[in-house]
Amino acid sequence: MTPSAPAPHVDVATPERVALSLPVAGIGYRCLAWLVDANLLFFFWVALYFVITLLVSDVLGAFQALSGLTQTLLAVGLFATQWMYWTLAEVFFHGQTPGKRVMHIRVVREDGSPVGFFESAVRNLCRAVDFLPVLYATGCITMLLDSRHRRLGDMLAGTVLVREEAIDLDKYTQAPAVDAPAADAGVQRPLNAEDVELVLTFLSRAPGLEPEVRRRLGTRLVDRVGASLTDEERTRVLQSPEATEAFLRTRAKAVH
Amino acid sequence: MATPLPTFVTRRRPDWDALQSLLTRQRAGRLSLAELRTLDTLYRRAAADLAQAQTFYPGTDAHRFLNQLCAQAYGAIYQPPRERWASTRDFFRRDFPATLRREARFVGVSAGLLVLGLLLGALVVTLEPRGAELLVPEGVRRYVAQGRMWTDDLLSVAPPNAVASGIATNNLTVTLFAFASGILLGVGPIFTLVNNGVLIGAVGALCFREGMMTGFLDFIAAHGPVELSIIVIAGGAGLMVGQALIDPGELPRAQALQARGREAVKLVVGCAPFLAGIGFVEGFISPGHLFPTWAKVGLGLSLGVLFWFYLLRAGRTDAGVARVDVPDAMASSRLR
Repeated sequence: MTPSAPAPHVDVATPERVALSLPVAGIGYRCLAWLVDANLLFFFWVALYFVITLLVSDVLGAFQALSGLTQTLLAVGLFATQWMYWTLAEVFFHGQTPGKRVMHIRVVREDGSPVGFFESAVRNLCRAVDFLPVLYATGCITMLLDSRHRRLGDMLAGTVLVREEAIDLDKYTQAPAVDAPAADAGVQRPLNAEDVELVLTFLSRAPGLEPEVRRRLGTRLVDRVGASLTDEERTRVLQSPEATEAFLRTRAKAVH
Repeated sequence: MATPLPTFVTRRRPDWDALQSLLTRQRAGRLSLAELRTLDTLYRRAAADLAQAQTFYPGTDAHRFLNQLCAQAYGAIYQPPRERWASTRDFFRRDFPATLRREARFVGVSAGLLVLGLLLGALVVTLEPRGAELLVPEGVRRYVAQGRMWTDDLLSVAPPNAVASGIATNNLTVTLFAFASGILLGVGPIFTLVNNGVLIGAVGALCFREGMMTGFLDFIAAHGPVELSIIVIAGGAGLMVGQALIDPGELPRAQALQARGREAVKLVVGCAPFLAGIGFVEGFISPGHLFPTWAKVGLGLSLGVLFWFYLLRAGRTDAGVARVDVPDAMASSRLR
């Protein structure tokens, strides 16, 4: 449940005087997001190429027939698309390119506020350096060395990538399924937040567990949260997984 | 005594869900004024809930959920000012030339480096003809040996698209790299500037030796002045970044880097449209014999003079300065 080492994060002090702490996206998320974006760009050009081949049979010939101005326009346009894709996406989609959106990561300034045009431009112009010598080698080494997984462009722009987790709150609010067999649970002291968390996580996972694992984990949790049970009650609670889980649910829900 | 976690979540959850759906709609950009007020209220409540979760339920999923929710709402409420056409216009009218004049030192050093490279390249090839074998790319040497300009065939040899786009994007790459490599302690821009200077100098000197100076001038005259200026400006921006790393002054290095980076990128972004424009000149007017040499030289010189006139004069009026100072101070205090 609790991570063994604190994950890297960005601390933000808001004007409302609460401390936010945003989890930082690691190199894995960033690589995957880049792969998605790179593939998108690649397939865009492949698709465009095929559309053009459908319209004109001889692409190279058609290109040659264009005037110098149009050729240069096209070349500059191609180049600009590769470069502006990132900045435009980040500015208009709240710090997310399509790849970042798929991976649920987002570019923010180091103080947690959204990126502006200049920050985004800086970090994306620096791709040229981070890409050196091949395939973001410089950027990857920097990310591995930096405590907040930033590449050189992020350091220059003062930005950082944060992760958005999908957190399910339903496990706290699920109604107890059956009547509690151990009705006297209510008189025991309420659990602390960590125990509630453990129990609820177990309950949400229990239906998918192997029967043996389910029974073993349930027993351990009952021993942890049901210290004041008598031996007879304990046996009764442990006689079936349903009874165990009903007991645990009641314990977690116990309102003082 | 704190309420048990499930009770807390059950009681407060409707507010959180409401805030979340408001945030989703805010991203799509459809919120009425009343809804914005609700968003603000809900954000404050969620912040209070987060404070409570931090104290009583640290490390739980509920805590992490609130953390994330508040971060999203915080991002939505403290947005940077929206970029508009008006601000773009102001940027080119005032901000970009003013930044350039403020950082003229760096641009000067950058120009010096390019000229140094130019002289070096020219000197080496003039004094020692075999130096050209080292400094001038082989393809160019072959053309010169045949007494032809390599640019004559720019648009007619197969595959032409590769060559044309290579030329057009090469300048973009050089410009971008001259800036971005500044983060390598300023070594990158120095290398890029000197290297390109040496290349141009060596090619020029080689053409001079082979009696092709007119051809060389014919090719570079139209776009050279502006293009070299842009590379020099981008190199200056890169040097700014490198200087912030080496000598951050009173600020911590990271902050100095960010502050200088923002200024430096203004120079690069400001150059972008001019770079695109000069790319057309280079692709369309410079090669071939569509235009006589005197026209190209005249165009190149007038474009260069216009460009520098704009850089040195634009936004310099007193009214402009007085108008900028106040909003700038306000903007920066809002950003803090």
